[in-house]
Amino acid sequence: MPRLQWTRASSAALLALVGALSLTACSDDEETPTPRPDAGAQVDAGTDAGTETDAGPTVDTGIAWDGGAAGDFSCEGKTQATLTFAPGQEEALQDQVNTLAECTTIQLAAGTFTFDNAITIRQNGITIAGAGKGVKGEGTGTATSTVLVFTGAAPNSNGLDVVGKRFEVRDVAVWNAKKDAVRIESSTDVIMRRVRTEWAKVNDENNGKYGLYPVKSKYVVIEDCEAYNAADAGIYVGQTEYAVVRNNIAKQNVAGIEIENTKYAYVTGNLAEDNTTGLVVFDLPGNPIKGTDIRVLDNTIINNNRNNFASVAASSSTVSQVPAGTGTFILASRRVELTGNTWENNNSLDVAVLSGLSIEPDPTLWAAGGFNFASADINIHGNTFKGGSGDQVDNGSLSQTRRPLGALVAALYAYGETQGELQVPHLMWDGVDPAGHPRTQVNPIHICFKDNTLPAGTRNAIVDLDLAGAGEAATGGDLIGAWGKTRHYAATGTAFDCAGFSPALTIGDFIK
Amino acid sequence: MRTSFVKPRLSVVLLALALAACGSSDPETPGPQPDAGTSVPDAGTGDAGVPDSGVPDAGTVDAGGPDSGTPDAGAVDAGPEDAGPALTIPTSLSGFGLFTGSPAAGGLVPVEGNVPYTLSTALFSDYSVKSRTLYIPAGKVAHYQPKDALDLPVGTLITKTFAFPADLRQPDKDVRYIETRVLVRQPSGWEAWPYVWNADQTEADLATGSRSRDVTFIDLQGNTQAFKYSVPSKNQCQQCHHLQDETGEQVMHPIGVKARYLHHTNTYGGVERDQLEYLASLGKLDGLPAAAELPKAPDAFDPSAADLSTRARTYLDINCAHCHNPKGTAGITSQLFLNIDNTNLFTLGECKRPGSAGSGVGGEFDIVPGNHAESILWFRLNTEQSGKMMPQIGRVVHHAEGSQLVADWIDSLPPKSCK
Repeated sequence: MPRLQWTRASSAALLALVGALSLTACSDDEETPTPRPDAGAQVDAGTDAGTETDAGPTVDTGIAWDGGAAGDFSCEGKTQATLTFAPGQEEALQDQVNTLAECTTIQLAAGTFTFDNAITIRQNGITIAGAGKGVKGEGTGTATSTVLVFTGAAPNSNGLDVVGKRFEVRDVAVWNAKKDAVRIESSTDVIMRRVRTEWAKVNDENNGKYGLYPVKSKYVVIEDCEAYNAADAGIYVGQTEYAVVRNNIAKQNVAGIEIENTKYAYVTGNLAEDNTTGLVVFDLPGNPIKGTDIRVLDNTIINNNRNNFASVAASSSTVSQVPAGTGTFILASRRVELTGNTWENNNSLDVAVLSGLSIEPDPTLWAAGGFNFASADINIHGNTFKGGSGDQVDNGSLSQTRRPLGALVAALYAYGETQGELQVPHLMWDGVDPAGHPRTQVNPIHICFKDNTLPAGTRNAIVDLDLAGAGEAATGGDLIGAWGKTRHYAATGTAFDCAGFSPALTIGDFIK
Repeated sequence: MRTSFVKPRLSVVLLALALAACGSSDPETPGPQPDAGTSVPDAGTGDAGVPDSGVPDAGTVDAGGPDSGTPDAGAVDAGPEDAGPALTIPTSLSGFGLFTGSPAAGGLVPVEGNVPYTLSTALFSDYSVKSRTLYIPAGKVAHYQPKDALDLPVGTLITKTFAFPADLRQPDKDVRYIETRVLVRQPSGWEAWPYVWNADQTEADLATGSRSRDVTFIDLQGNTQAFKYSVPSKNQCQQCHHLQDETGEQVMHPIGVKARYLHHTNTYGGVERDQLEYLASLGKLDGLPAAAELPKAPDAFDPSAADLSTRARTYLDINCAHCHNPKGTAGITSQLFLNIDNTNLFTLGECKRPGSAGSGVGGEFDIVPGNHAESILWFRLNTEQSGKMMPQIGRVVHHAEGSQLVADWIDSLPPKSCK
């Protein structure tokens, strides 16, 4: 990737940039000094044992499930009817969908089905099976694919909208859904296999938000699927317990794959390429589920440099503030293992570990999830960093109002380059958690970075940004002082060169 | 590292570690207030009460010999307690025997015992004119509830008919009926069944799988509005008509039949009667407290009926709170509670960041007091953009009057920047 373009910028321009940052910092409101997040709320961060002090043991219970009936509903021994539909029978299909007996399979012939409303399923044991998901770019079905077209559907409607136990969808494409392509809520035993979700237009903020979107569910498998052009996340697993996300492809989305407020996720063998950000794990404030135990294994997270097309004015979403070129970020998350993955050519950086306070600094707003803003116990080992990353933050197209952290990092590394740091290191930690920790603590939240393969000539692999200190200096116009707050570390021989947390994750071990 | 860093936050992060939660402002006094007088097209005359158009009689109708031989509305009568057989759902609306006549034949007339009612403030549905009836089987009685929907017995049938006059300024002329939704209280719980009126306006047929119809009308300003009206599918009814039980299961419930929305007068048999008292006088409602103790939601669009805050909160209650309440799935997800009795300003949306409202939604906070233009709540109910508008279903065009009401209310709140 091209070198930093802003090395040519004058220091005056840089100061103008960071000055603008400070201007936006809570100008009018008087600040009411708020109690620091009380100790109780943050203790869990950084314990070696990797435990949550407040939530009891949060470990995978070792359920050997992989898309079977792990929940309390099964179709075994029950009447299992199959309804078959061909293109042209959409109205009959919709009528039947609304009066389904449990354990019905809806078999869709090859071709194009056109709908004017969501396919809304509220029944247990339903399977939707088509003839194939087709290939990227196909908005019509072929002899070997079934494409469900929602281009002219009612405003706000999803493609598939499902609440039900033991649901499966396979071998279809969902095209141009008005909102989410496949939304599955409050369901148990969910399988999405060989499903393609796609919007025709690239880079359109008005595309549907999510491609494959299981939320508030349990025992979810997303496998061999493809997700393109979502205005939020191509594949999103939210507020879910036990999820397998395996061998999928996510491209041209704002976020490729998102694991949010989720417990026990096994994310493996996926390709996240050409998104704004590739594969991310985070908790959001105000959500009652505290995510934990996420294993990210053998994924390829490359070339995620698509300009953030959701980053428009007056946005409230998290992803709208993500700088282009972000391979992976882990935010407000704990017990996350990244291993066997490949990162390459992500212009802003490969991996960031962040505090939830960096997006929502008011700890009281994290009360619903047990004050789950702190990240802790992140084990990054045995990965391959191929390089080409971290050398053009946010593609050099900065916005201090819409993507402020990117702008700050860009400014810091513009100066950093003069100090020999030619790119943002492969692992960037914001240095926030536990909030207010003394700077004498080098690795208080127990981030381990070990046995990773790095490009030849790598100087420093890790940075502690000290977002608070550096941010304060930068907003005061002192870029050199801000840079001075950051700390850079080599890949080995530091406090980050550690062996991970215990008990180690088991999610995935029982899945074959 | 790039994430969401909301603008200012960088430096503040550790410094003060939080800009207190935006101070606070005066508490709301939700709750019913004065009165209003009905604005909704009222429900007719005569005991049967003609919803909004037409004259009684006529009773012709063709399809399937509905009116006579009424497959008896009383199918589910009898049966004490909540037992009894489930009602077989007819394939046409006439099969319920709830109405005589038809729109084509001068009007759809509720049979005796199928009581028309109006709500003091109604859910906005693309300016459709809605008429409602409540049928409680012989021998059964509803139990009064001060806050929730009336406790209605097995066999109860609630209908809501959606129609569009050619010109909203003449709501009784050239009315085209689109659909009639029937909520059925089965022994196992509530079910929702949508019926769509045919082109001849002679019968409405069961259409479980959703339909769309092109609709055109002249609005109150004299402008022509044309759009594709979407009749929800049976399963979509549950999107609004549910509350979660203790186990998280969605249980279907009616929405409008709450005492506060019913406690006003209507014309029955040519006489003005309070709707609740009328039901009680028919022996269809028990437990009714003295009139002075009855809650009352005002007509949100009658400035003489209540103060601005109460009217706006009433509008949000009937338009949003069926989901945005602590037992609604979307409410639980978003933690935005717009029910009239929510007194917590944060969960009401003040300076609250939404969980996932998305991009380009007007601002960062659900409500920025004093500034409707940067309030997501207002943006989403004002916009017609798919994927951004609220409510999730049931609306295509925007409700100018409702948007203005909520804007006025937000602007009336003591200003805060929320930052």
